[in-house]
Order: sequence, then C-alpha cells, then structure tokens
Amino acid sequence: MNLFKLLRRGSAPVARERLQILLAHERNARGQPDLLGILREEILAVISRHVPFEPEKVQIKLDRGKSVSTLEVDIEIPNGLGTALAG
Amino acid sequence: MAQVLVVTSGKGGVGKTTSTAALGAALARGGDKVVVVDFDVGLRNLDLVLGAERRVVFDLINVIHGVAKLPQALIRDKRLENLFLLPASQTRDKDALTDDGVANVIAELRRKFDWIICDSPAGIERGATLAMRHADAAIIVTNPEVSSVRDSDRIIGLLDSKTAKAERGERVEKHLLITRYHPGRAARGEMLSIDDVLEILSTPLLGIIPESEEVLRASNVGTPVTLNNALSAPARAYFDAARRLKGEEIPMLVPSESRGIFNKLFGRKAA
Amino acid sequence: MSSVVCQRQSLMFRARSYMAFAFTPQPPIVDWLKDLDAALERSKGFFADRPVALDLSAVQLSPSAITHLIANLEERNIRVLGIEGSAGIEGQARLPPLLRNGRGTQSFELPKPSSAAAAPAVVNPPPPPKPQPTSLLIEEPVRSGQSVVFIEGDITVLGSVGSGAEIVAGGSIHVYGALRGRAIAGAAGNPRARIFCHRVEAELLAIDCYYKTVDDIDDSLRRRPAQIWLEGGTVKISAMN
Repeated sequence: MNLFKLLRRGSAPVARERLQILLAHERNARGQPDLLGILREEILAVISRHVPFEPEKVQIKLDRGKSVSTLEVDIEIPNGLGTALAG
Repeated sequence: MAQVLVVTSGKGGVGKTTSTAALGAALARGGDKVVVVDFDVGLRNLDLVLGAERRVVFDLINVIHGVAKLPQALIRDKRLENLFLLPASQTRDKDALTDDGVANVIAELRRKFDWIICDSPAGIERGATLAMRHADAAIIVTNPEVSSVRDSDRIIGLLDSKTAKAERGERVEKHLLITRYHPGRAARGEMLSIDDVLEILSTPLLGIIPESEEVLRASNVGTPVTLNNALSAPARAYFDAARRLKGEEIPMLVPSESRGIFNKLFGRKAA
Repeated sequence: MSSVVCQRQSLMFRARSYMAFAFTPQPPIVDWLKDLDAALERSKGFFADRPVALDLSAVQLSPSAITHLIANLEERNIRVLGIEGSAGIEGQARLPPLLRNGRGTQSFELPKPSSAAAAPAVVNPPPPPKPQPTSLLIEEPVRSGQSVVFIEGDITVLGSVGSGAEIVAGGSIHVYGALRGRAIAGAAGNPRARIFCHRVEAELLAIDCYYKTVDDIDDSLRRRPAQIWLEGGTVKISAMN
C-alpha cells in the first residue's frame, strides 16, 4: 500500500470541514448583524471611556472555529496611566 | 523598488487566484516581502486558497472607506512571515471600489512591500480594470484553449489602454503564464500547443504550469501549491516563474508525460 | 460566394469623414462658458451652422450634466453633433452620438471684428487643413476588441489582427501576420481597394460594401498568405505563394 497516497487522501475531508465552518459563519452573517463586529465596537467604546488610545493602535484578530470562535483585541495603551488604572 | 503586479486573464477559472497564491508564496519564500491583494469584491477567493478564510476581519473596501487602517486589514500568513493578504469584501460589490481609494491603498502598500500582487477578477469590468490600473507588470494567465486565448488577447489590449502606465505613454511589462497544460492532449493535437498560444498572443512566456491534482489538493487544504508540495511539477514550474520575474534566465521546461520524481519512486516500490 | 449588402441605392452604407470644430471644455465649466461667451462676443453667430463636436476628456460629467451643457450651448446657437472623450454615455438615447478616432488639425482663432463697433464680423473660413498622411502604420498586433479606423487611406499592421478585432480602411489593408478578425477595405466607397495578409483566418472580409464571412472562405485558403479583392460584385480570395 502506498503510504504516501494514504496520507494524501485526506485533502477532500479537510476541504469539506473548512467549507462547513466557513459557510456556517457566512450564512449566519448574511441574516443578522455581525456579532463579532458589534462586540468589537462595544469593547472599544468601553475601553475608550476609561483610557485614551489611537484607533490605529488597535489590532483585532479573529479565528472562526467550528464550535468556538476566538476574538483577540490588542490595544497599545500609552504609559503613565498605571496609577489611574490602579486607583 | 516595489513592483506592482496584476494577475489577470479575462476568462474565469483559468488559475489566476491559484497562481497569485503560488507565486506570492514562492517570492516570499525567497525572502521578499509580499502582499497579495484580492480584487474580486463580493466573491472573494484568495483568502480561501491561502487558508485564511477564518481570520478575515477587515478588507480592501473597509480600508478604502476609512473603516479600518491598512495594517488592521492585512492578514499575515501563518507559515511564511513575509507573506500578507489584503482580502476582498464578501458582502459588497465592485461599485464599492473607488479609483482614488485603490490608488491610495496601492501607494501605501508600495511603501511597505517588495511585491504587491493584485489578483484580478474575471471579466473586463470595474474590478478587473482597477486591479490592473496601477500595475508595473502583468501576468496574463491563459489555458491552451480557444476562449481563454481570445480573452487573454482582449486583456492584453486593455493593459495597453486602461492602465496608468499606458496613459503616461509607458509600457506595462507583460508575461504570459500558461496553466493547465496537458502534455498528452497537446501531443495528440487535442489541445492548442505552446507555440500556437505564443504565436497568437505574441507575449513573452513566463512559465508553463502543468495540469495537476496537486493544485486541487493544495486548494482543499488551504495552502499555496508551492508550499504544500514544493517538489511537485506545478510547484517547481511556479518557482521557476517566480525566479524569472526577478530577472533570472532559466530554461523553459515543457511538461512532459513522464511522471514526477516522487511518483516514480513510489510507483516502483508499490510494484 | 459573396453577399451583396447594397443592391438598392437606398441601402448604401458608406463611411464618410467630415471636418468639425472640436470644443474641449475645461473645468470649471462655468468659467469655460464665460470664456466662450467672451470669444463669441467678438464673432457673433460664427458657429450657427457649423458642425461642432464636444470633447469631454478634460471633464467628468454625468449624462444629465452633459445634457445641461448641450442645452447651454444651444442657447448660444451652437449645435453639438457628437461627443468624444466620455466613457459613460454609450446607450444614452437623448445624447448626441459618441464619436471615435477624431484626428486633430491645427487650432485656429475666431476671427475678430474688423472694427471696434459691433459691426457684423467678416468671417474667414478656417484655413485648409495640411495634407494628411494617406497611410496608417500599426507596429504591434491588434488585440481582440480593438478597432482601427482610418478612412483617409491604407492601413498596415506589423503583426497579427486578433479574433474579435476590426480594421476599417478607406484604402487597402496590409497585415504582416495572421488576419483573424474583421477587415473592411475601401470603406469610403473604393471598390479597387484590396486586403493582403500572411495568413487568412478572418471572421469577415469586406471591400466597399461587399463582404464574405468565415463560412464562405474556402478551407484550402485558410492559414495561407492571401490577397482579397473585388471583382464584378464578388469578393475574391486567392493564395499568394
């Protein structure tokens, strides 16, 4: 049995799984407002009420998974606010 | 000096997106900083072929309309740190692209990257003309098949009239990339030969990519074919094409019917 | 076997070229109209019966803005016969037709009145144009979708003419390559024009108003150097070897 071919036979199932996850998200997005987008805006609004930051210094990373999606928000907050935050 | 390339064809389904990803990865592998830009607004594909479909947050339209800054929209490839993707929008359409918006984005990308590869949509309308507008050079992807060849001819005509370079009286460098070449069919006269295509299109040849299951496999798993199986025939042809883009002179290999190295070895072991 | 397009006089379709004055409005239009009025002050009614083409390549106007501009010009007794340099107007029925391939002659100034009073100006006809070249040379292949029109004389192409491209000449056509598109020679009514090509794979060949399509071209002639001419109302092709 050609081992190499066995390992490689897996590409169609990989494609199927990727499409299932992706299309589930895209169909969802078509019907409703973008939940992750709303979360992003609201998180940024809350933080900006307490700490000033530049919009360009916000990095948002997203990973839409099958059962779990991850939203990562990185914001560079200028120093000198440690006391304000600790207080 | 940054180079803006457009990968275009006129005809759909000939291998533009596959080639954009393969060439982008090949150039990035070689150490250059590369960004691939998807101009197919509303029907994005480049993210899928690169396996980044789950990570798209902002896209080209968002950047044009000021909703996001360019660095926020760029997605870095997880395998090659020099390769970035600027995805297209999936919900808008080509009318959301503006001339000035695209010009500004390309200008900003020129400052950060060595290669900006614009993946054009099929057709000759707004998305396609905007993708070619700022190109220094064009890769015209053609299948050895009559409608693909005629559409490529049309596109070559447009490259000489609709681009900023043409309007300034300069020439857009043109390269022909023949894809889905099937040596058996060509030998039996069932497929246009390389010479036929070259004679009709009168454009320098960048490479000949053989028809191969590797392309489908790579797209299934979301990896450019040059990364998924770098030793396969199409990958090697793409690597050669990337080197030619950088000015190297490499003899052109016409794919033949004989099987590739790996297949040959395993073929014998199995028997 | 050729098809005769124009048996009856009334069906004669010929190409003809005319000289027109070209106006090229510059932005802002309001200021340009003021300048125009100033020039017209000096030569009232000059354009009243003359053909005027509107070159819109320097401005970006929507179809309704173009309609407005044309109305403004009509108020000044200027009638626009065609528009060039504007991509978006094709298919707009209420606008004048789109003109292509306009070729410039030298510019000239409107004649000034012979006296300071508002006496009717002595209008001089525009100076005769310099002799035009009678042959057009294209040094690159003509690509699918491109159209080359040169009514004044011959067209020579150093390269092939792609499928879906078209060459229209008042004189003869010479293609040093494969002719795959459409070629129309003698388009202004010259039955003695001919078409020459290195390889005939054309979709349509026409001389004066007689034409032959790809179905009527004998297979034995395909892909060979050929000459095409008109004889007694029939388009003839023969191999040149």
